Amino acid sequence: MDNKRTPAQRKQAVRNNVAGWLFTLPSVTVLFVFTFLPAFIVILLSLFDTNLVGQADFVGLGNFRQMLMSGDFWGSILRTLYFTVGSVPLAVAISLLIAVLLNAGIRGRAFWRIGFFIPYITPLVATSIIWLYIFNPDYGLLNAALKLVHLPASRWLTDTASAMPAMILYSTWHDVGFAVIIFMAALSRVPTELLEAAQIDGASGWRTFWHITWPMISPSTYFVVIINTIGAFKMFTQVAVLTQGGPVDATTTTGYYLYEQAFGQMHFGYAGAVSIGLFAIIFLLTMLQRRLTGNKVFYG
Amino acid sequence: MTSMRRSVILSRINRVFLYLAIAALFIVVVFPFYWMIVTSLQPQDAVMNVPPQLWPEHPTFQNYIEAWHAAPWTRYFANTAFVAVASTFLSLMTSSLAAFAFACIDFRGREALFNVVLSVMMIPTATTLIPNFLIIRTLGWYDKFLALIVPFSTSVFGIFLLRQYFLSMPKELWEAAQIDGASRFRYFRSIALPLAKPAIVTIAINSFLGAWTSFLWPTVMTQSPDKQLIEVALNSFLGEKGQQWSQLAAASVFTTIPIMVLFFFVQRQFIEGIGGGGIKG
Repeated sequence: MDNKRTPAQRKQAVRNNVAGWLFTLPSVTVLFVFTFLPAFIVILLSLFDTNLVGQADFVGLGNFRQMLMSGDFWGSILRTLYFTVGSVPLAVAISLLIAVLLNAGIRGRAFWRIGFFIPYITPLVATSIIWLYIFNPDYGLLNAALKLVHLPASRWLTDTASAMPAMILYSTWHDVGFAVIIFMAALSRVPTELLEAAQIDGASGWRTFWHITWPMISPSTYFVVIINTIGAFKMFTQVAVLTQGGPVDATTTTGYYLYEQAFGQMHFGYAGAVSIGLFAIIFLLTMLQRRLTGNKVFYG
Repeated sequence: MTSMRRSVILSRINRVFLYLAIAALFIVVVFPFYWMIVTSLQPQDAVMNVPPQLWPEHPTFQNYIEAWHAAPWTRYFANTAFVAVASTFLSLMTSSLAAFAFACIDFRGREALFNVVLSVMMIPTATTLIPNFLIIRTLGWYDKFLALIVPFSTSVFGIFLLRQYFLSMPKELWEAAQIDGASRFRYFRSIALPLAKPAIVTIAINSFLGAWTSFLWPTVMTQSPDKQLIEVALNSFLGEKGQQWSQLAAASVFTTIPIMVLFFFVQRQFIEGIGGGGIKG
């Protein structure tokens, strides 16, 4: 194959190969050691009962069996789904409303946009602290506001029934700006001729929205729904700061359960099995999202 | 004529409602930040008032002074700045080199390697945390800055984005550089890289923000107080201060300020990066 090339071309090909591998080597090494290698190690780890300091017993699929029969594991999945069902439709509705309003030819669009986006870039720990104060059942701002409009107060993060709704409220507040930006970009790509044609035909604003805009932005809606669902399964920081999974285990979502099993209980093998379970869920969600959006989506 | 005037009035009313709706939503979203600042200026005995005071009657900077002296914040800021700058710098270097190779160098196994690199995005960090803890310990990096920097010294997103930029550059540019006797690396450094500046800024912001706001990774990988990053330190401060909300708010404000300042300089680029990167239609 190579013998048809001149020596100069062959030399060039060798130099290309060397340069290509040399240039990619640093990135590939980092990705290999901290992403691919861990993916294999976690599989090995999940076959052992180990605390990583001395004790390590081979248990085969024992960890997986334990996980699938564990009420705590399924409880954490159910709470994650509760969080998802509570937060995702809320985030879509609010962010879409904001995006539609901002795209309605409003003045100072850039200014408003920054305001809605700011919570998203602020650190979870810092903003969780102020929300902890806002949620305080005795002297917090939220209960004071509810009292002002004659609504019943709540114990928020300190009660098993209201802790998850409070978590949903905080997380939606923090993340809504991301979806606003996605929807604003999607709305700006809906062809204006279509909307104008609908208007000339006498369609109302609602009808135009539901029959033209909503279907046209559906890839973005799928994107927001799935990204937020994946986010729910990974959620950790706000749980660690606001509730540490409590009260009792009312806010122990799968992401927090995984951390707690590994670094709280030192059940590293079992936590490895939970990691693989989590991977399977996130993988399926990503595949679903690719299918629904026809692979037009990219996220970093 | 009348119907026209009526529709003009109607659309004016609509516009008023539009602005009212936007303003109401805006206030709800931004209010926690206002509340953070107000609380940080309240004397401690005022923060448990019922109902809460929406405006500080006796504003004081004392909380900032006390909160600042209650923990080695200078150390935490220095740690975080060092880790953020180092990982951002390394990540830009390695990602741009790799992206350049994937875009401009015709080497054996290029497509296969690129696909392998992209497949990394299918492996979420949440599932690799525990084995990474083992790897970091085996490397002897536990409780060292290396553990906070090296794993974040490349970016698949960065490789992807920069490769797109390099691919879009005209081939004639490279040919002309070759005629002038420029080496591959010289072309990369002096021509290709400067032309990819917007992508580089986007990657730098992402990487820097990621390091500044990181919490779970440094919680797991470090232990000693002098190695803490700012968010981990802030959470420990919450543990120490319990319900001293005015000091907690003050610490929240001063730890968030660098992010805010950075954001205001780059917000347009950052926001458009998300909007454009979200979906390519």
